[in-house]
Amino acid sequence: MTTTPSISGTELTDTQTRALLLKLTVLADDEIILAHRDGEWTGHAPILEEDIALANIAQDELGHAGLYLSLAQTLGGSDPDQVAFWRGPDDYRNTRLVELPKGDWAFTMVRQFLYDTSEALWLEAATRSTYAPLAEIAAKAVREEKFHVQHTALWVERLALGTPESERRTQAALTELWPHAAQLFQPVEGEAELTASGILTDLNAVHARWSDLVTRHLVDKCGLTLPDAPATQPGRDTHTEHLAPLLEEMQRVARQHPDAEVW
Amino acid sequence: MTQPQSSSPDTQWPRWEVFKQDAPNRPHQAVGSVHAGDPQHALLTARNVFVRRPAAVSLWCVREDDILTATPEELTTNSALLDTPGEAGTYHVGVKRTNKRSMTFVDLSGTVQASGSGDALRQAQSLHPDVLAWMVFPETAVVRTDEDPGTVESWFAPAKDKTYKQQQHYGVIGRHVGELKRAGLMPGRAASEEGA
Repeated sequence: MTTTPSISGTELTDTQTRALLLKLTVLADDEIILAHRDGEWTGHAPILEEDIALANIAQDELGHAGLYLSLAQTLGGSDPDQVAFWRGPDDYRNTRLVELPKGDWAFTMVRQFLYDTSEALWLEAATRSTYAPLAEIAAKAVREEKFHVQHTALWVERLALGTPESERRTQAALTELWPHAAQLFQPVEGEAELTASGILTDLNAVHARWSDLVTRHLVDKCGLTLPDAPATQPGRDTHTEHLAPLLEEMQRVARQHPDAEVW
Repeated sequence: MTQPQSSSPDTQWPRWEVFKQDAPNRPHQAVGSVHAGDPQHALLTARNVFVRRPAAVSLWCVREDDILTATPEELTTNSALLDTPGEAGTYHVGVKRTNKRSMTFVDLSGTVQASGSGDALRQAQSLHPDVLAWMVFPETAVVRTDEDPGTVESWFAPAKDKTYKQQQHYGVIGRHVGELKRAGLMPGRAASEEGA
């Protein structure tokens, strides 16, 4: 490949480019699928204000996916719309955490909290990437993500310390979601080399910071119990039965009108 | 006051009036309200609802119960509003000057020292005699966003980058009225004045 982008002095090798493309896809896929699940609350959230709030959060997450996929496109990836709307469940690389059905409000908020905290910590570290385009994306997205964390942390706290019913639902949500959470910190193929060269942040360090942060909030502050998590996680190419119907709904309009230029 | 027909208790969260400041040195303006269970929830919700676009630099929330409002007509028929009790201290005064703005309702115009809500309203009335409505609330009732860089960066900065589109930006069927006016195709006053 002779057209490997060279930005701010960082020359990517072909191997690095391939790994970075995969990483950007993985990051975008989580954002897209979670945004869709959040969007399912539109018109159904507990109160109008939270309906608007969650729709806004979903838009932010989709915006982050757009940033990742645009960068991937400059590295030789496909057009972002192609990536989002023309890949099936076998090609999506999102975590199982984000594809599970939306559940009740407690489930939605606990999932969002687990995800937002991991994204905020990862983005914060990624602002120090030696690969300038990624550092710029991270600097832009981390601002929104820090606000998301505040919003969902507040909700988890209110629900966990609210009524016996809200506490029961919050604990049930955590019990179901927790075993999936570690998958967020699964490296992609070739990630180690990108980390060694400073292009990507050390995922293990982010994982440790995340564990500390969520444990302090969920256990110490909210009085919830962390269940056991499995020692190993399936790969990001393994999905639950819930992803296919989600994609079918999400991609319906694009696939019904493949020639549409503006929509 | 009319009593609610239903005997079931009101389970709605309290309503909070939201005040947004668009730039330093501009007044905080009432932009609408949110329902929220506590002060921090009110602020977070206000940010989600009112600070997407355009830019803002500060948000205040004030519980509806802590706010006293009156129109000149209301004061004529119910002067007892001027005796509304409240704690002595600093009160914020807001005034509504026009019905023509679509996105803000009341501008905060400053503070007064008052012996209670009614006294603050009386001072608001004498400071601003010719307005559509007055609003007063004690300084102690205000919940504010932090002014630290972290809050400003995550609550307000992202909106600055987002394109804010006025309603008229969005497409219309046929041609936009402004376009027709410029082409002299709008019937009525605009066209005839131009021709005069």
